[in-house]
Amino acid sequence: MPADELPAAPHTVADWFRGYEENGRLRGFRCAHCGLVTATWGLACPRCGRSEYVDRDLPPTGAVVAYTILSVPGDDFLNDAPYAYVVVELDGGGRVTGWMPTVRDPTQLAIGDRVRFHPGYKPGVQFVKESDAGTSA
Amino acid sequence: MRETWVVGAASNRFGKMKESTREAATRVSLEAIRSAGLEPKDIDYTFVSNAFGISEHQAHIGPLINGGLGIPEVPSATVESACSSSSAGLHEAFVHVAGGFADAVLVVGAEKLSHLDTLAATSYFAIAADYPFETKNGATFPGLYATLASAYQHKFPTRPEMFGSIAIKNHANAARNPHAHFQKEISMETYLASPMIASPLRLYDCCPFSDGAAAVVVAAKEAMPAPASEPLVVRASVRTGSITEMQDRPDLLGLPASRAAAEKAFRQARLGPKEIDFLEVHDCFTIAEVMALEDLGFFPRGTAGAEELEGTTARDGKLPVNPSGGLKAKGHPVSATGASQVVEVFEQFNGLAKGREVPRTGTALTHNVGATGGSCSVHIFARR
Repeated sequence: MPADELPAAPHTVADWFRGYEENGRLRGFRCAHCGLVTATWGLACPRCGRSEYVDRDLPPTGAVVAYTILSVPGDDFLNDAPYAYVVVELDGGGRVTGWMPTVRDPTQLAIGDRVRFHPGYKPGVQFVKESDAGTSA
Repeated sequence: MRETWVVGAASNRFGKMKESTREAATRVSLEAIRSAGLEPKDIDYTFVSNAFGISEHQAHIGPLINGGLGIPEVPSATVESACSSSSAGLHEAFVHVAGGFADAVLVVGAEKLSHLDTLAATSYFAIAADYPFETKNGATFPGLYATLASAYQHKFPTRPEMFGSIAIKNHANAARNPHAHFQKEISMETYLASPMIASPLRLYDCCPFSDGAAAVVVAAKEAMPAPASEPLVVRASVRTGSITEMQDRPDLLGLPASRAAAEKAFRQARLGPKEIDFLEVHDCFTIAEVMALEDLGFFPRGTAGAEELEGTTARDGKLPVNPSGGLKAKGHPVSATGASQVVEVFEQFNGLAKGREVPRTGTALTHNVGATGGSCSVHIFARR
């Protein structure tokens, strides 16, 4: 099929990085057909298969649905361990994974805890506990 | 579809290889071919897996292996599916043989990471996750499985001893397996005292970084009038996929690709979980064995940990799981693992698993996962 008939993603992976690194935004997609909200780049919705993504900024707050305190990091995080790696259910739908530089012990976090996206100078999507927002990281 | 057998199998000792991947892969390939009573010239196609070949500055390793076997004219292709690479290769071999496109196919997987330090090896593993949406946010493989473990523990109360009993069992099995990386038993005290790598996973919840090579030979029944070893009849060869990223999975209590693969495989084999005598499952971390046994339909969700603790999955238990020692203790040379699981079935079927025999060897299932379940292979084998 000619290229102009291919579906286009509303934004690129590079836009995703720029979004949170430079503009403090979590960019995402909403499937206009089934309503799925996701951060993950794609040309079509993994739930319904339709190519009807539209841009949608993801809300900056949510609750932890799964997490670990990581003691042995990869090379991008060599000087940051221990830290929390989290899966966050964002308010209004959609989940995003990120990390929490200020959470260094399993007793500091629990599933269900409220967190807020907190853009910082370090790599990756960073969260802080909502109760700490504005005071740390 | 033609009846398809695994007719030969071989593995080296996992752990630290002095030789290169290419040398080890060629050596185990020849050994597997000979165990089938064949010679390299009988091979029609080679599927090779070496997911982290980049760490040895070597791609396109298949022609080098075939050349080293004296069959440079035989076609080869590399099959990469992260930790499930060589079981994906096995599936390709099955498709070729069952479909009549080849009579005998070599499947070989090999990996070498011991020349790297822990940081570099951890980083290589992590590129098999979704780089922008997971790795870049701090994920490592222990971290990803630990995250799944936290969701599981939140839903189902899980005592550390449940995970510990898996590590202890698999170390005990590996101690009786000459191919295993770790050949020592561990105690619950040792397990509980080991440091946290990614909470709630301790050091002894994690498989090691291993070097290793394993190979199997797949052939059509009609091409093997007098097999040299007891063949494994391939009753099911299934591959599935699922959403890779944890952030897009509605359910974190198991791996959807494992569930789908098991359903398809049992249907293809016309067998059910109760008719399987023993299993080799993907236990890269202890939580992965728990989830595998539930995803594959052997135990209801939330109950496998208790079964492990009660000894149901021991070598002499009702359902032996990972008699080889599994990834956890036999070791996990990524691309060799899938083939290596079949080596264990081959040795059990042929009375070669000395000192770690399981009570019944009529049927077996192997389960091999790519990364955190973006890919999955399930194979079911039976006697003739």
